[in-house]
Amino acid sequence: MAKKIVGAVVVFGLLGGLSVFIWALTNNKIVIGYNKGYEPDQPIPYSHKQHAGQLQINCKYCHTGVDKSRHASVPPLNICMNCHLVVKTDSPHIQKLTEAYNSGKSIAWNKVNLLPDHVKFNHAPHIKAGKDCTVCHGNVAEMEKVKQVQSLSMGFCVNCHREKENHAPINCSTCHY
Amino acid sequence: MDQTSSNKPSGKPWLSLEQWRQDPEFLTFAEKEFRTSPLQSGDGVGGTARRDFLKLMGASLALTSFGCVRRPAQKIIPYAKKPQDIVHGLPNYYASSFVDGMEAIGILVTTRDGRPIKIEGNPDHPANMGSMSSRAHADILRLYDPDRYTAPKRNLQNKNRTNREIINARWEDLDKAVTEQLGKGKVALLTHNHSSPTTQALMEEFAGAFGGKIYQYDDVSYASLVEAQKASYGSATIPNYNIDRAKIVVAINNDFLGTWVAPVTFQRQFAMGRKKSTEGMSKLVVFESLMSLTGSNADKRYRIRPSQSLDVVMALLHELVVVRKSSRYASDDGVVRVLSGFSKSREDLGINVGEVAEELWKNKGQSLVLAGGMSADGDFGVALQVAANFLNAVLENDGKTIETGRSVTRGAPIGDLLNALNKKEITTLIVHGSNPVYSLPENSKFREALSNVEMIITTGDRNDETARLADYVATDHHALENWGDMQSLGGALSIQQPTIQPLHNTRAFQDSMLAWLKGAGKGSAKAKASETWYDYLNASWKTLSAGKTGKLNFEDYWNDVLQTGVMQGSNGAAGSRSLASGTLANVKPTAKRAGFELAIYQKVGIGDGRLANVPWLQELPDPVTKVCWDNYACISPKDSVQLKIKEGQYVQLTVGDKKIELPAHIQPGQADGVVGVAFGYGRNGGGSVVDGIGANAMTLAQWVDGRAVTAGLETTIKPLTKKTELAVTQGHHVMEGRQIVVEETLADHMKDPGGQVHRHNLTTMWSEHKYNGNKWGMVVDLNTCTGCGSCVIACQSENNIPSVGRKNVIDGREMQWMRIDRYYVGTPEDPDVVHQPLLCMHCDNAPCETVCPVIATVHSDEGTNDMIYNRCVGTRYCSNNCPYKVRRFNWFSYTDVKAPRQMALNPEVTVRNRGVMEKCTFCIHRIRGVKAQHKVHDTKLRDGDVKTACQQSCPSNAITFGDLNDTKSMVRGEFDSPKAYALLDELNVKPSVRYQVKVRNTDKLKWAPAHEPVPGAPHGQGHKPPAHGRAGEPLPHGGPPPPDAGPGHPPMPPHDPPPPPVPAEGGH
Repeated sequence: MAKKIVGAVVVFGLLGGLSVFIWALTNNKIVIGYNKGYEPDQPIPYSHKQHAGQLQINCKYCHTGVDKSRHASVPPLNICMNCHLVVKTDSPHIQKLTEAYNSGKSIAWNKVNLLPDHVKFNHAPHIKAGKDCTVCHGNVAEMEKVKQVQSLSMGFCVNCHREKENHAPINCSTCHY
Repeated sequence: MDQTSSNKPSGKPWLSLEQWRQDPEFLTFAEKEFRTSPLQSGDGVGGTARRDFLKLMGASLALTSFGCVRRPAQKIIPYAKKPQDIVHGLPNYYASSFVDGMEAIGILVTTRDGRPIKIEGNPDHPANMGSMSSRAHADILRLYDPDRYTAPKRNLQNKNRTNREIINARWEDLDKAVTEQLGKGKVALLTHNHSSPTTQALMEEFAGAFGGKIYQYDDVSYASLVEAQKASYGSATIPNYNIDRAKIVVAINNDFLGTWVAPVTFQRQFAMGRKKSTEGMSKLVVFESLMSLTGSNADKRYRIRPSQSLDVVMALLHELVVVRKSSRYASDDGVVRVLSGFSKSREDLGINVGEVAEELWKNKGQSLVLAGGMSADGDFGVALQVAANFLNAVLENDGKTIETGRSVTRGAPIGDLLNALNKKEITTLIVHGSNPVYSLPENSKFREALSNVEMIITTGDRNDETARLADYVATDHHALENWGDMQSLGGALSIQQPTIQPLHNTRAFQDSMLAWLKGAGKGSAKAKASETWYDYLNASWKTLSAGKTGKLNFEDYWNDVLQTGVMQGSNGAAGSRSLASGTLANVKPTAKRAGFELAIYQKVGIGDGRLANVPWLQELPDPVTKVCWDNYACISPKDSVQLKIKEGQYVQLTVGDKKIELPAHIQPGQADGVVGVAFGYGRNGGGSVVDGIGANAMTLAQWVDGRAVTAGLETTIKPLTKKTELAVTQGHHVMEGRQIVVEETLADHMKDPGGQVHRHNLTTMWSEHKYNGNKWGMVVDLNTCTGCGSCVIACQSENNIPSVGRKNVIDGREMQWMRIDRYYVGTPEDPDVVHQPLLCMHCDNAPCETVCPVIATVHSDEGTNDMIYNRCVGTRYCSNNCPYKVRRFNWFSYTDVKAPRQMALNPEVTVRNRGVMEKCTFCIHRIRGVKAQHKVHDTKLRDGDVKTACQQSCPSNAITFGDLNDTKSMVRGEFDSPKAYALLDELNVKPSVRYQVKVRNTDKLKWAPAHEPVPGAPHGQGHKPPAHGRAGEPLPHGGPPPPDAGPGHPPMPPHDPPPPPVPAEGGH
């Protein structure tokens, strides 16, 4: 009898664990594999659709490092304030932004596009080679909330690098060092 | 065992006395890639250890299967207000200055996102032209030293200044107390040689305002040099040396390449005379007691005791003036009379100084005599310098190889301060930049004299030996947080600018002085108008630069200077001078010493001890002894036999009534009857890294006539029973091959450069790699490499290489990607030395690549051998198969560094974790960075665009790096030069690094040419003991495979034809 109880507890425990695991997976509490589809909330619901889509602001206006450096870089708040010093100052989100700007504390955005560890990716040469931002980032101009659209796995990178017309190196140390 | 027998054939170079003796223990270690494995160090039974390993693996497997869940939520926090010049991901460089003892050099500080990560040399600064010392590199870790005080402190002292209670102080309270105290007058400001003209002006103003006086003390003093300059030429300066113009340099107990005055400048100049290994290559003759870095680079080296230093100079003078009557001083009766008193010196020395004198005279006007330094600063210290000045004058070098220099006098000598303290003439003492309580000999009674002072203020960043006796520690900025200016010995004026906001609640000493001046309502109009030290500096430079700004107004000129770091046109000698007659009259013969003589010396890495709390420097093997993390007593091989002292055995050294205990190190090439002890150890208050290491050598030094005597003191040595193991790196990573270092005499070299190199005609069964784009390669010139170790620290700083600590070094787990092998050639009593930097050779047929089971180390089409950390599973096969032994394994996790040291990490280079193999990458991140920038700007890669960290740092320009596929590149030319040879060429691994032969400006080498078998030496096969049975094989397989390596041994690339066995007398 005792054995049966123990067995039942074990079975229910395992089942329970499994269901929690499945729940966590389906609700994006944990993600296995790459981050394709990751779409986190941001402290300020900044809309790329509005800025890049409707207002047609060039990507480089905010992501100033993209053609110079490894990092495209998330814009410093002074770039936001170029417009929002006067634009839509009555919005609570913009007030939050202004407050962060004035206090010098900045805003902690959630990182969306995540490369696997141990990869060194450099934006500048890719922009120089004429690659469109959308190749890796999808059509951000239509995204209300930014989402990772590609796996950004090694296969994703290498497939492109292998194409002859890209003249891209495929040494391991191109990205890993 | 007789370790000093001179009869032993010495055909091949050797690394350590153990190797020279063919010690069985050494042979076992030489065969193994790793001395110990933590997996085996349990109970010593292989099987159990293996099971433990599997258990560990099982546990980590279980962890990783849960850990393999993606999406660690990461945050991006942008600047609120980004400074205009910062592009995230690109470094910014700031020109600044670094002062180290007497040497002021220009630096470029690499900063990333407002955080300095590396110090490099400023190519525009005439003193160093981009090169660096290991110590200048290490200064970055002093900024991030966790032991730094984060705020000003107050030490609550009792009457005897023995109270140890330390409380935090607020700047306001400190200023109030200090200003009040300063108002009482009788202020003494004790400073080091800060080399800053504007700081000096402010100090003078400060001292003047409070009726005070400036005194000067440097932990390593050049008082005897300066005093002798004053006696000989009437000006208390350090002269300006032009070593590059000298055809022959004679150094008498003078380590100008390692530690004396301005080693970076001197190395650069010396290398200029060596680079062209043809007619006219300079010659270095060294007379010395210990084996210094300079001595290890000598063409001809004589062993003398410290007290014989003066005899050498006088014997040379006697030979030139009295015997040969060469000089115009031959008719000067006064001079001849003095020199006649030294007619016996030559016999006493037992050295034929005639040939040295002849060569000096042959090159008169193009020769240079350098004498003295810490290890010859005896009671004869000043006389030695005076005699050397006279010798240079006899040789007509004045105004040619030696010129009037600049004053490094910042105040009255410390002897005056001691007198004033003892007479209770000082109420307030401010100590800036030196640590006299530690570094003054005990019999100076400085510590006792301090109880006569009402208030002591120190400006250091910790409670060091002096600060412990102080009332206030007015924490100064680190140089990278502060403004300033500097004047090098050559005269170049450079700027020092902050590269980061002060990390802690510290304040520049100059700002403190201004605050105290203002608090008392004193100071000049300039001081009153200056809100901060920056304003004062800026105003001073307005005056300094008057007439030099050209067409620019001052604001533009100032920005220009901040950009380049140096005031153009400020460099240059200060004019001619003439020798005062009769100076020689005061030179008296040195009294004879009985027994051992003490010689305190500076280590290349530790120097004056200011940077001793930097682990990089503690782990930098001494260029000659190759010991790190330790302080030891150096004795000669012959003395060690006589006194029955073994390596690592403790000895007690006694001078008068002062005693210290240190482990012994047997140093080949050291003069008999001398015991050498390094300065800078035995600290108590230096910080958590340095405290407790070794003993303070200055305990044995004596205070005589207002000067610290650090050499020539009679010492007794008593062997003790205690024993320790010194953390020596030489003997780890031993290569086996037939021709590792190649030496040629200058005459042979001029006839047939590279003629001593044994060339192999090799074919391969492998299909060769194709390199269509770049093919990176490097050439190291053994002839100019001095072995100083600057490259080792440059590499460590650039590539996030951890320090592993003393115990791990003993176990052979040091991580430095670059090592400098030091080979002795000849007998232990009198060997020559060759330094050979060793890094990954990036072989075309790399043995490591073929054996990696997970393809973590692979070949690129640019000729580099890539190490992919995230693929590596740590089998260590690659390391086992590397004939050069340049691979390093992370036995432990070294990534958790104590905050804020992690701020010095270079974000371009992966921080490796436990269980991963690593090695030199040819600074691949720099290659990638430069190539990306060229691509972005549509420009073409030119020769010299990519510089490796080691190459950039090398003071003697011994390293050339570049694209071998570019036929016009410098490296291609050097690579194909007949001087160049591939290391372990017979293995046909085709390294991308080549060495150029060491050329010795001498008639005869101390060894038989290596490719001719040594007569009478047994051959490898059939050699005993059996543990050594593989000696004939060309590749060091190591013994049994490591416990986790599995059965069988990985294959090696074939070589054809198999090379003949190695003579057993060699290095295996």
